[in-house]
Amino acid sequence: MTTEQELVKALQAIPWFQVMTTEHFKKMVNIAKIFKFEPGQVIFHEGDKEDYLYVVLEGRVAIEISVPGRGRMRILTADAMDEVGWSSVTPVVRQRTAGARAVLPSRLVAFDASELRKLCDEDHDFGYFVMRRLVNVVAGRLMTTRLQLLDMFANPTDYKEE
Amino acid sequence: MAEIQISVGSTVALPKTGLEKLLANLLQTGYRVLGPQIQDGAIVCKPLKSTAELPKGYISEQDSGFYRLVYSGHRRFFDATPGAQSWKQFFFPAFSELAGFTRDDHGHWQVEETETDLTPLALFGVFPCDLAAIQVQDHIFLREEWKDPIYWARRQSAFILAVDCLHPCGTGFCASMGTGPKANPGFDIRLTELEDVFLVEIGSEAGRLVMEGISVLPTSAFWLQAAQKGLEDASAKMGRSLPDQQELPDLLLNNLDAQQWDDVARRCMSCSSCTQVCPTCFCWDARDSIPLNGQTARRERVWDSCFNPDYSYIVGGNSRPNTRSRYRQWLTHKFGSWYAQFGTSGCIGCGRCITWCPAKIDVTAELQAIREEVQS
Amino acid sequence: MIQTLGKPHAISPSEPMQPFWAEIVEIVREAPGVSTFWLQFLNKNLREGFHFKAGQFNMLMVPGLGEVAISISSDMEESHRIGHTIRSAGNVTSTINRMDVGDVMGVRGPFGSWWALDDCVGKDIVIAAGGIGLPPIRPVLYYVMHHRHDFGKVIVLYGARTPNDLQFTREYKSWQDAGIELQVTVDRGDDSWDGRVGVVPILFYNTRLDPRNTVILTCGPEIMIRFVIFEALARRVPPERIFVSLERNLKCGLGSCGHCQVGPFFVCKDGPVFSFDKLQPYVNVEEF
Repeated sequence: MTTEQELVKALQAIPWFQVMTTEHFKKMVNIAKIFKFEPGQVIFHEGDKEDYLYVVLEGRVAIEISVPGRGRMRILTADAMDEVGWSSVTPVVRQRTAGARAVLPSRLVAFDASELRKLCDEDHDFGYFVMRRLVNVVAGRLMTTRLQLLDMFANPTDYKEE
Repeated sequence: MAEIQISVGSTVALPKTGLEKLLANLLQTGYRVLGPQIQDGAIVCKPLKSTAELPKGYISEQDSGFYRLVYSGHRRFFDATPGAQSWKQFFFPAFSELAGFTRDDHGHWQVEETETDLTPLALFGVFPCDLAAIQVQDHIFLREEWKDPIYWARRQSAFILAVDCLHPCGTGFCASMGTGPKANPGFDIRLTELEDVFLVEIGSEAGRLVMEGISVLPTSAFWLQAAQKGLEDASAKMGRSLPDQQELPDLLLNNLDAQQWDDVARRCMSCSSCTQVCPTCFCWDARDSIPLNGQTARRERVWDSCFNPDYSYIVGGNSRPNTRSRYRQWLTHKFGSWYAQFGTSGCIGCGRCITWCPAKIDVTAELQAIREEVQS
Repeated sequence: MIQTLGKPHAISPSEPMQPFWAEIVEIVREAPGVSTFWLQFLNKNLREGFHFKAGQFNMLMVPGLGEVAISISSDMEESHRIGHTIRSAGNVTSTINRMDVGDVMGVRGPFGSWWALDDCVGKDIVIAAGGIGLPPIRPVLYYVMHHRHDFGKVIVLYGARTPNDLQFTREYKSWQDAGIELQVTVDRGDDSWDGRVGVVPILFYNTRLDPRNTVILTCGPEIMIRFVIFEALARRVPPERIFVSLERNLKCGLGSCGHCQVGPFFVCKDGPVFSFDKLQPYVNVEEF
């Protein structure tokens, strides 16, 4: 069971929490829990309906998608201070579109997403602050995905026309 | 007649009959004389043995995509303005050997001496625009850090006989570019052809030497005035103009997304004629070849053009994959980037690209169109 | 005249088009399709007299086949042999990649501008490189290792397509031991890779840099460079302190044949290393 002290200490290390108001910080502490994972341990599976927004405190988490015939494709890793599972805070997506698995011994803080969504609805200043942060996260992921899609390192001879 | 002192910088009058002696002196000195002659209905630059081979009595009529040589029966040697060829082909040949290699007895590659014909050249009849073009190319091939060996050898020993242009070609705009119709300094001899005499300005010691033994007359006020008037008339009769050309680098490089580029791309066929006839274009390609026995190898330098599809090849594709980007490269380089690279405009206003473009694209009109688009 | 970062110095200034013969003395397979060829001039005087600066390139020639521009990837202070890391991409590079120790090729160079290390003294250096963009940077790392105290923090952000494509993995530990911070990522990983999966630009997210005292050097696919510059500018690093190595069709090395032009610049002699402020007007113009 995570102690409140442990939670406060953990959250204080996260950069975007350091600029939060004390009131908002307290709200986040109330809906937070800390989890530990060993290398190889699954954090959540594709298709899971569990509802948490994670921030990696230590270690490394791989985001994976299972492709029939090709196996588990590791499409991204999240390191310390990175978010995992941002889609739990958006209004529409409820099911995990990818799985997450620890690659190194990792410590993650998990925020109850349904509580977080409720807090955002009740306090729009708080909601705006959280959404602003998440938009940045999504923007970074989108840029990464685009560059991965463009396959910028491919040997050009692979693309030579016949 | 009293001996006329010919010195560098002085101007004398040469009866028309004296031209043959001038040519003979050059040949006797050992120059290979090259001069304008008619071939296949156009003026080309070829070895000249006698003034009878010059296009006496001809004029050239030029317009967008139009060139005709017309015999008008006048008695002047140099009225016909330049055709598609320029003097660039002699200092910067279209095909030349960059390096040759042979395998020695142990099978190792050795560099072979390349042979180049270094007979001194005399360019007989260089129009002011073309003299300016040679000087533009000097900046490219003769630099402080290195000098192109062929260009350097031939340019150093070359004799330039320039002729003022009193009957502008129609597509040229040398007056706008400051390169004509009077030849700027850089010649060994400059001729201004009047009805019955040439005015001869001695531009160098070589020019002075070649005049030895030729009967000349002192210049007269009448002739000097006729020459002056002829040049003024020529300036006023230019077929094209390009005002404020020094402003073009900023205009072009700040408007790389202008609509006009799309417009010209619809008409341009990317045929590269403009670059082939342009006397300042300098791009080249290296071609390697090796015969089947693998005992020798050659690197050849050939003229290239930014309109060629392979020109902008980069690993994985082409950085200029269409006519629009290639035409833009050519125009912005010629009238814009060239200044930053070599300190002058790349264009000397000869009008060849206008005359020889099969799509009748006129660079002065294109530049004016960009100017108008930007100003609106 | 364009001010270059420094005058190129050819082996024989009067004959920069003439190749000099060099023998392959060692071949190191770095990654699939990529090997470093260590060349030694046959002529002893050249062996001792050849000097280059980090960022410059040589033209390597296979007689009868052609030439290719390859950045020098070895230590500036290593005399007698020069390293060129080559990926098979066309006829000449594929042929070179099939050559053996003892084979001879022609060398012209060095050409081009170099990474302005003199301007980095006392500053932090952040290097963002991708794929085959690391070899032109390696001479910088050797220099830093020889003169570590001249510089502040030195951070390398490096990525490749897959873990197999990472260059010089055997040397990472020696760089880290010398006080160079190394963050590595790959575009796509698998179960055997414990490292980061992502792209080079996002490595900036966890990098603390002081924009007033940082120089950025970047080399790699042009699209990666574009996003790296985006991140650098977002962190307020001034364009004059972002250095980029561009790749174009380099044929003569002298700014003579015209093929490598980008606007007024000849990449072979005004580059390949440019400070970004010079390129800014042209970098977002499509197909320029």
